[in-house]
Formats: sequence, C-alpha cells, structure tokens
Amino acid sequence: MREIEIDFGMITNDNVEQLRIINSTSLPISYPDGFYKDVVIAKDESLNKFAYHNGFVIGAICCRIQKDGDASSKIYIMTLGVLPSYRGRNVGTKLVQSVIDHATSEECQKIGISEIMLHVQISNNDAIKFYERLGFEKGELVENYYKRIDPPHCYILRKKL
Amino acid sequence: MSSKDANPQAGQGILMPKKETDLFRAVVKQYECKQYKKGLKAADTVLKKFPNHGKRDEAINMVKLGLMHDMRSHVCWHVYGLIYRSERNYNEAIKAYKQALRIDKENIQIMKDLALLQIQMRDLAGFAQTQHQILELKPNLKVSWLAFALGKHMKGDGKGAIAIIDTFLSTLENGSVDLQKSYETSELALYKNSIIAENGNWKEALDHLHECKKKDILVDQLSYLKLSGYYQLQLKLYNLAKESFFNLLERGSTEDYSVHTGYMLSILNIDGEVSRTMLKRKGARALSSMLVLSNDQQKTLKEAYQNVLIERFPKSIATKRIMLTLFNVDSEDWNTSVNAYIRASLIRGVPSLGDDLSSFFIIPATSSNKNEYAIAKDAVDVKSHVAYKSIAALVDTVIASLESTSMFPGDDDVQPPSTLLWTWYLRSVLYEKAGDYSNAIAVVDKGLDQTPTGVDLYELKARLLKSAGDINAAVKCVDTGRELDKQDRYINNQTTKYLLQANKEVEALETIALFARHESDPEQNIFDMQVTWYELELAACLARKGYFGKMAVEKHFEDIHEDQFDFHSYCIRKVTLRAYVDVLRWEDSLWGQDTYVKAAEGVIHTYLHLHDNPSEHVNGSEPDYSSMTAAERKKAKAIARKKKLKAEKKAADSAKDEEKEDTKNKNVKQKTKDDDPDGQELLSKPPLEEAKKYASTLVKNAPKCLTTWLCQYDVCSRRGKAMLALQALFRAKSLEDSSGSMDSEVFKRIVDFHLHVKLADGSHTAVEEVFGSEKVNLLGTSSKTLSDFISEWQEKVKASPLCNLSLRVEVAKAMIKCNVGTCSDASNLIVCKGLDIRGVSLQSCLEAINTLKSINGAEKQAQEFAALAKSVYSLSSNF
Repeated sequence: MREIEIDFGMITNDNVEQLRIINSTSLPISYPDGFYKDVVIAKDESLNKFAYHNGFVIGAICCRIQKDGDASSKIYIMTLGVLPSYRGRNVGTKLVQSVIDHATSEECQKIGISEIMLHVQISNNDAIKFYERLGFEKGELVENYYKRIDPPHCYILRKKL
Repeated sequence: MSSKDANPQAGQGILMPKKETDLFRAVVKQYECKQYKKGLKAADTVLKKFPNHGKRDEAINMVKLGLMHDMRSHVCWHVYGLIYRSERNYNEAIKAYKQALRIDKENIQIMKDLALLQIQMRDLAGFAQTQHQILELKPNLKVSWLAFALGKHMKGDGKGAIAIIDTFLSTLENGSVDLQKSYETSELALYKNSIIAENGNWKEALDHLHECKKKDILVDQLSYLKLSGYYQLQLKLYNLAKESFFNLLERGSTEDYSVHTGYMLSILNIDGEVSRTMLKRKGARALSSMLVLSNDQQKTLKEAYQNVLIERFPKSIATKRIMLTLFNVDSEDWNTSVNAYIRASLIRGVPSLGDDLSSFFIIPATSSNKNEYAIAKDAVDVKSHVAYKSIAALVDTVIASLESTSMFPGDDDVQPPSTLLWTWYLRSVLYEKAGDYSNAIAVVDKGLDQTPTGVDLYELKARLLKSAGDINAAVKCVDTGRELDKQDRYINNQTTKYLLQANKEVEALETIALFARHESDPEQNIFDMQVTWYELELAACLARKGYFGKMAVEKHFEDIHEDQFDFHSYCIRKVTLRAYVDVLRWEDSLWGQDTYVKAAEGVIHTYLHLHDNPSEHVNGSEPDYSSMTAAERKKAKAIARKKKLKAEKKAADSAKDEEKEDTKNKNVKQKTKDDDPDGQELLSKPPLEEAKKYASTLVKNAPKCLTTWLCQYDVCSRRGKAMLALQALFRAKSLEDSSGSMDSEVFKRIVDFHLHVKLADGSHTAVEEVFGSEKVNLLGTSSKTLSDFISEWQEKVKASPLCNLSLRVEVAKAMIKCNVGTCSDASNLIVCKGLDIRGVSLQSCLEAINTLKSINGAEKQAQEFAALAKSVYSLSSNF
C-alpha cells in the first residue's frame, strides 16, 4: 500500500463528534463523555489531534501529560485510532511520530518529559509490533486492567527519551 | 431673541443634538402665545428628527397646529412632508413638499427631497422636471446635470439625456477638475453609450465607443471590449467581433461563458435577436449547449476550440467544459475528454461534479423556443439521455477498477481512498438524478462505511432519504452530519430546512439559532437578516399543521424597495450611472422576483383556504391560528401562548350565549393584548379581499409567471369575476401554448371554469356574447365543447408516451366528471405507462392513487400503481 498525505488538525468542541467515530471504529472499549470533554478543554494540538486526508478526518491521537512526583513527567497516549479503510498507509505512524517529536522538543524537555507510555491489551500483537517499530519497549504486565473486554490484562509500553 | 431664533433659519435645527433641541423647544414654547409660530414649527422639525416613540404623534399635532397658525410657511409644509416620509407615506409627502415649494420657489433642499421621493415613486416626469429646476438654480454642480440627464433618460427621452450630457461636457474647459477624474469621466461616457445603444443604434454606439477609446477616456476595458464585440456582432462585423471576444479571453475572461458565447456567435456569423438573447443569458452555459446547432456549425466550433482555444488556455475549466459539449456523445473524443475531466475532479474531490455533469444532459426545450436546449431535469429524461448512460457506464468501470486495484482503469497510479469515495459520491448523485433512490442510497452507504467522518456524505444521504419518502430518517441523518462539524453553516441550514419539512418548527428554530446572533432574540435576528428561505419553509410547515400565518417575506421586499433611497443621491454623485439604472430597473421588477411570487402564492392559498373553510376561522377548530400569524417572529413562545389562548377562548366562549356574533371580535381583542397586533389584523380581514390584493400585485409585476395567472384565476373565480377569470386562463394558456403541451394546473382550471364559472346575472348582452365565444375559444381551435376538449386531451395524452403524470391524472378526473369515455379509459390513461413518464413525484403518485381509488373498477390498478410507487419511494409510509 502506498502512503497517503495527511495534515494534522485541532480537536475542538465543534468537531469532537468525529473523534467519537474514529474511536468507536478503532478501539474495543467506549470512552466516557468526560474523556471527550477533557480533550476539548485541553485545546492542545500537540497532544490531541486529528489526521486529515483530502479534507476528511481519518485518524486521531489523544495524549495527556502525567506528573510523576516533582521532577519528571511523561506523555501518556490515551487513544490512537485510524479508520479501517485508511490503515496500512502509515497514518498511525505519523500520528505517533508527531507526538514523539513534540516530546523531544525543547518545550517538553523544559518541563522534564522523560518518556512516552501507554497501555496495550496483551492479545493485541499488531499494536505491540507497531509500537516496537517506533522504539517502544514492552514493560510490566498489569492484570485486570480492563473491565469489559477479554483478556482483561495489559502491558505497559514505554519509550524512554 | 424673538423672531430671529424663530425664523426659517431655525429649520436647520434638524442637525441639532437632542439636548439643545429640547431646550430650544422650551424657549420657543414661551413665545407660542405671542404667535411666534415659526419657532414652534422649527422645534417640531427637531422633534421629528428624534422621534422618541410616543413623540411622533406629538410632532404631527404640532406641525398641524403650526399649519393652522400659518398656512403660508414653507418650513411647516416641509416638516409635514418629512413626517409623512418617515412613515413611508410618500404620496402625501410629495404633496406637502410641493406645497412648500409653492411658497418658497427656490428652496434647493426641499427640491432635492422632492426629487428623491419622485424617483422612489417612479414619478419620472415629475422627477425630470424637479431636476430641471435644480439645474437652473445650480448649474455649476455636476450632480445637477447628471440628475437631470438621468431624469430624461428614465422618462424615456434618450436623445434629451444625451443632449444634456453633451451640453454638460461642453461647459467644461480643457483640464478642468471634472475631466481629470478618469473613472467618473469613463463611466459617464459609457452611460451615454448605453443610452445610444438602447434604441438599437449599433453603428452610432460603436462609433461613439471608438471615439471615446481614441480620446483615451475609458478606464473600463472589460466593458469596452464586451460592448465592442456586442455592437460589432449586431453590425455583422463578425471578424472584428471575434477579435474583441478573443481579446477578452486573452485578458483573463476565460471563465465567463457569455464571452465564449460571443466568440461562438462571431465564428458562426449569428447576429440579431438570437445573438442578443444568447448573450443575455447568465450561468455556466455557452452557446453550444443553449442553441440547437447544425452538424456543420458544431464542426466549425469544434475546430476552433480544438485548434485554438484549448491550446491557448490550457488551464481554463470553462473551455474544457465547452469542448465537451462540442463532441458527439460516445465519440472517441468525447470518451477521452469526459474521462479526463471526471478523473481530474475525482482526484481533487469536487462534491458538485454530479451537478456539473448533469448540465451535459441537454434536450430540446419543451417550452418557449424549440431551437434551444434545456437541461433535462425529469428523471425519465435523464435516465434515457445518451450522455447520462455514457457517463454512468464510465463511472461504473472506474468504481470497479478502484475497488479492486485502487487504480483508474488503464492507469498505474495508486489512488488514495478519497478518490474512490468521491467516485461513489458521484455515482450516487447520478442515480439520484435518474430517480433511482434505492441504488443511490446503497452507493452512498459504501462511502459512509469507508469514511464515516465525511460530512458531505451525510448531507447527500439525507437528501436521498427525503426523496425516497422518509423525511424523519433524513432529519436524523443530516443532524448526525451536522454534529460532526458544528461550524458548517451550510449543513446547519440544511438541517433546519429538513426539520421544518418534517413539521418540527421548534427544533428548527433551535438549530438555526446556533448560527444567529445570540444577544437578541434569534428570531428577530433571522428576520433582520431577511432569511427568506427559512421564513417560506416555516410558513409552509405551519400551513401544513393548519396554522395560518402571513410570511415576513413581504416585509423584506418592502425593505429592499426602501433601500433604494441609499442609491438615489449616492449613485449620481459617484457617476455610477449604468449600475444605478440597472438597480432602478431591477427594483421595478422586485415584486416579480421568484421569492416574492412564492410568498404571495402561499398567502393567497392561505386566504383562499380560509375563504373556502370559514368554519376554521370562526369557530376556531384551531384555537391558536391567530398566535401563529405572528409565528415568524414569536414562534419560540408559541407553546406558552397556545395555552393562554385556549384559556381566553374559553372565556370568550362563555360569553357566546349572549352575543354569538360578537365572539370572534372579543376573542380577537383579547388576544391582541398579548402579541403583535399585526397577526390579528391579518386574519380578521376578509380573506378574499386580501387574496385579491396579492393577486393583483402578481398580475402587475410577474405577468410572465404561470403561478400569477393560476392565483388570479383562483381569486377571480371565487369573486364571481367571470371575465377576469377567463382572461387569467388565456394568459396562463399563452405561457404554455408554444410547447403544445399543457400544465395540469391550467387544464384543471379550464375544466373548472367551464363547469362552474358563470357571468353575473343581468350582464349586458354584448358582454354575454363575447363571453360565450371566448369561452369556446379557450378550448382551443379543434374543440367546441368541454367534452370535445377533454377527449382531445385524452388522445393527446395517449399519443405522448412520456406525458406528465399530473396531467394524466387531471385529464382522467375530468373524463370521470364529465362522462367522457369509460371508467377504464380514464384509469388506463393514468397507469398505462407505469412510472416511465415525466412529473413523477411522491405527491403526484399519491394523487394518482387517490384518483384511481375513486374510479369504479380501478381498485386493482390502484394497488398495482401503489406497488410501483413503493418501488421508487421505498421509504415512504404512504403506500
């Protein structure tokens, strides 16, 4: 498959419904309204963004910054999704890469971002491989992390910066 | 102080700020008893300029008082006129101004005010005269000259206008300031040129144009070239004309279709009336898709475009589109070009591509001139059109190829998914144009599956759902799309429209309010913005629900008419005379605009409905109709009000026992208190009289519109005006006649006329004679009686396989009503061609089924027809 061109765009109150569509077609669990509210309130395009192709939203990534004690903090990837028809064209890679680029930027280094991390269901080999290609490493297993899906366990994946 | 303050000078108090005004008035009042009347009047002037609501009456009284004291005061009369003007009572204002001028003959200010009103009221002779007087007093002002010339021109005296312009120009010395203003000089020259050309003096106009060009005073090159080409064409100077139009293309007007048309006319040596009509047309069609051309002509144009224009203007989309109209459909050239054209648009993503392509589905016009093409709109015409078939087949192969290989057929570039998406979109639109909603929905669903974030897809699917008969599903679908992009005003409006069509006016208001300004009442804002489509849809929605409301649209038209005032003095000062004349003429046809006709039609139907069903009005089977009259403004409060009105109604009902007649009045009075008196008044007026007013406005302003004459007939036949009704039908028929077909609405009324409309008793015998013979003439040349007429049309319908469904139904109904033919003849006329006919819509199908049901022995046909309709309108719950 050939790569396709994408642009990034902000997630706002006016288009957040499209994020619901992306997530519902890509992720096994449904997120509460509060999740979407927070994304809109954050108003931070470097952490929450749509991938557009020829004017249509085809994917999205949503992250937040987590403080670990005083000194260091990390970027946590909450959701990443690409519409099924647009997969295999490096859209997801570009979305994650844009977050990695942001995390290593001067702005993030100033506030001490030391890693990017996320949770992955243990059965989701495709996702694990995908992140490993981008330099993430498999960390500890968290049991019964998910409540409504099977298997309920997950790995933590992290990329040290 | 004393008389000094109080003298005519004080009239200039118009400009004084309010505080001083009040003070001034107080001062003057002290002198009142000493009869310093003019002082009083001056104060009134001031007051009137700041008409703080209640004070207007006071102002009028004071002016009247002033007039009583001194009939010979021009200030008084002037103020009196100003007050009338502010109330939009222009005729009275003109009278007052004239009175003032009789006293003070040389008052420029009053003359100017008078002239403004005269041009507003189109008292053209009066306007010219006033401007003449102004010119005599102020010959040193350019404005005076121009205004006088304009007056002459508008009066129809083109020569006089030209003479004045020439005189004016001759008064200017070389190098005078006025000549240096290049734009104004240029406009004035072109204005003069347009007057010359108005009488068809092409030669003179062209010479004048060249002369101006030589003097180098024209700055508007575009107009210069367009006019040159136009005149040259009329003078059969085809080569020169061709050069002019080509120059225009070179200058960058390649996307102006009228320039292409001019170029084609020059190549084909077509002049005269045809060329003028063709050049007047607006829109994205050039000559080749407007006029039926011979093979030779087409070949000539094709060569010119292929050999010259395509190469010269490779980026011009218009040129490419025109090229397509010059090939024979399905020729190799056509296939190659249309393929390239479609592919480019699919890659780019052009939602309007389907509509764009449908402009190639041209058929010889059915009405007006048969030498012209019209764009096929009826599904049955589209479906059978050779260009449609060719394009649909092409798109199908593209879809197959993209679905399997992501590449266009015979291409090795991998396309992004969006290309396939837009191809599905296009296919869906093409199915829609052919009336195949089920397949259209199936294809758009593929797109939604692939890209559920595509707002355009929801909008298209909603439209299809609506067409297939399920407005509620359409609302749901379009609203889902709206949620995806709340900044998209278009889909927000679309949602509003569908909500209204689904009779959900409250939700509709909430939706449109999202984009209205919030600080005030959103309805007020919508009204101020003159959102006529919303108001028309709302009115239709309320009418369906049985609430009768007057539309606000009419008010908008008054406002637009008022807005002219802004132009009267401005345009002359800025010498944009050509545009100004266009505006004046456009305003003259204002009440003939489609939107107004639609609004007036709605009002007339509403009033006629009230007239035909007086019970609804009097006994209040819809207790809240009156609240709805004001609906366009106060709808949000409607529900609360409904309850209140019901309570009031009860109170009124209890009073009924005593004075039955009075109930209505009381009711009306009580209701008036809690809202707009406007709405009340409207419904308390005699409905037929009101309908008549609107019908006459239409007759006066939109005589070329079929609706006008249908409305006029409906009103006149109810008023017992047999002659006027007859005339309306003749006019309606004449609009349709050239086509040889007939509108079902006209047919229905001709039958109705013959069955029900009689001359008033005691009419003059001469009138009766004319009426009798004209009544027969109405039936056409080959029919003598109504039965002849009906069977003549029965045959005509039979002989025309595509004949409109509505006409079939009306003829069948008439056959039953007048015992022409048998019942099965009538029902067969409706069903014989199935749905492969023109004019198939949800509405016309329902009408057909109802008619079939009412015909003896046609039950089975009704069922079969319903099944057929169900196959097209698969989502409708009506079958």
